[in-house]
Amino acid sequence: MPALTLDRLEKRYAEHTAASSVSLSVEDGEFISLLGPSGCGKTTVLRMVAGLIEPTGGRILIDGRDVTRLPTNKRNIGLVFQSYALFPHMTVFENVAFGLRRQGVDGADLKRRVDQALANVRLDGLGDRMPRQLSGGQQQRVAVARSIAPRPSILLFDEPLSNLDASLRDQMQIELKRLQREVGITTLFVTHDQGEAMSMSDRVCVLAHGVVQQFDTPEAIYHRPATGFVASFIGRPNRFKGTVQRAGVQVDGGPWLPAGVGALNGLPEKTAVDAVLRQEDVRFLRADESAGFVLDGRIALRAFVGSRVQYVVAVGGIELIAEAQTNGAHAALDIDAAVRLAVDPQHVYVNAAQPQEAA
Amino acid sequence: MTAGTRTRLPGLVLVSPLLLILLFAFIAPALLMVPLSLREYVPGSGISANWTLANYTSIVTDEYFREVVVRTLVLGFGVTAICLLLGYPLAYFIAHSGPTMRLTLTMLVIFPMLLNLVVRSFGWIALLANRGLINNLLIDVGLIERPIRMMFNLFGLLVGMSHIFLPFMVLMLVPAIQAIPKDVQSAAYTLAASRLRVFWSITLPMSAPGILSGSILVFVLTISALVTPRMLGGPTYKVMATLIYDDFLQTLDWPAGAAMSFALTALTMLVIGVSSRLMKRWGGQA
Repeated sequence: MPALTLDRLEKRYAEHTAASSVSLSVEDGEFISLLGPSGCGKTTVLRMVAGLIEPTGGRILIDGRDVTRLPTNKRNIGLVFQSYALFPHMTVFENVAFGLRRQGVDGADLKRRVDQALANVRLDGLGDRMPRQLSGGQQQRVAVARSIAPRPSILLFDEPLSNLDASLRDQMQIELKRLQREVGITTLFVTHDQGEAMSMSDRVCVLAHGVVQQFDTPEAIYHRPATGFVASFIGRPNRFKGTVQRAGVQVDGGPWLPAGVGALNGLPEKTAVDAVLRQEDVRFLRADESAGFVLDGRIALRAFVGSRVQYVVAVGGIELIAEAQTNGAHAALDIDAAVRLAVDPQHVYVNAAQPQEAA
Repeated sequence: MTAGTRTRLPGLVLVSPLLLILLFAFIAPALLMVPLSLREYVPGSGISANWTLANYTSIVTDEYFREVVVRTLVLGFGVTAICLLLGYPLAYFIAHSGPTMRLTLTMLVIFPMLLNLVVRSFGWIALLANRGLINNLLIDVGLIERPIRMMFNLFGLLVGMSHIFLPFMVLMLVPAIQAIPKDVQSAAYTLAASRLRVFWSITLPMSAPGILSGSILVFVLTISALVTPRMLGGPTYKVMATLIYDDFLQTLDWPAGAAMSFALTALTMLVIGVSSRLMKRWGGQA
């Protein structure tokens, strides 16, 4: 039995639809990310699961039980907010104990379980502090400890790391992942950061305009994007506008690109399309190398970004970004150097043009 | 020059006009009253040249003065409590209503303050007097035979002053309740707290700053009010403020009036100090 089932969940407002027919099935102990740009409906879905927003259609089942009409306080969930939402007038201990007390846990048992939860997030011994005496990262850990202490059926995260600075965020990602493994609670994690979603999740659900675009493993999402939106949202994409021509895409004012088997999805010739070619899928060729499809170009700009070097390459009237490994043969190309780029047709993702789709 | 003094200096310049006005128009006259309060008052001949502490000691020892002080405090705490009990639900409702409703209700709360204080107090006389609206109605209906005494006593003052100071309480509470992040209350719901529990454990303590400022404001306004106690208390049922007024302008016993003024100030500061301390501990800001 799935730990969480969303069955054609829907939220319509007067002007727009925040979620339409969202169906998901999450297995026990799984870590699922809801990934999408802001306004894609991911937070709406999460808040409907929490019972903070009432759906206009569909059902929510937690451990097989229909909770669609159940108030938040009867759902046995844990929710970690972006703003932490700690109780500022209570000590860290009392914050974590709040949910346990509601379950009737008290005395030595209460202390043991609060201490356990604080140990889980490595905040041992800070129970007497007030929230405002803690750093942002520590406050976030208290929020996590508070939500896991009552052992909820499902743990929900609403962009929990976006208020932390970058280095702390990386560290918290790993810690949250490890904690989730240890505690084994089914987790739904909302984020707009693809790196966060990819690195932490068992499966990722990509949302756009309130519609599920793809629900699959991070590998599948990355290598086999189901829609043009997913292709252009995941990875570091070059986006082109063009038209279908000769089993490929004629980029407006630029070169022709081949498309892989099935990539055109039966789109007829001359159809206006959006094509995506990821920066990391463009390969620099050595002078003696050859490939199935080659673009000739000229280096326009070079940017060193640590583990890789990004080049802006002028190719037949347009510019695209290509990457090379810092320790590879193409790490030190000069401006205006002539280069040859290999493009695998399987890496060209094509989708019928949708002008409003700005990721 | 440290960063602290650099940032403080322009601030000092900004407040200095107000500071000067307060110094000459308020603090200096108040200090001039200190020696006055230590003079002896001889009935018939006025203020004598002798020094005495009697003006202060009599406030504690004299049964009449003691009664007035206790009455003032009971009135202060009573009106504050009534305003809090009546004002909090209203403020909670206003804070949680939509923008149009909020504006309408806020205007309604402010509206009575646009009427002159004397008029409002007089309105209560018309209602509460022995031959007033309420007594007449109750007698006509046959519920009572003799009018119930509702003026010139604590009841009248509690009713009248609660009405007059309620808007201040509500206006202080609304922003405090609005300032509570919705996420914090939602977090409590996700932790299986009932609505009542969320109110008692989260909303109420987190609105402590508003409760404190509203209560202090209403308390201070109540114990220093003159017009309403004068009108609804009459010449005999006195509070400290009316007593001071009479000392200065009727009996001309300035030393006693000055001493009573200082006692009132000291009481006010004591109550504010203690309540702030307690509130901060409760609201977690200690």
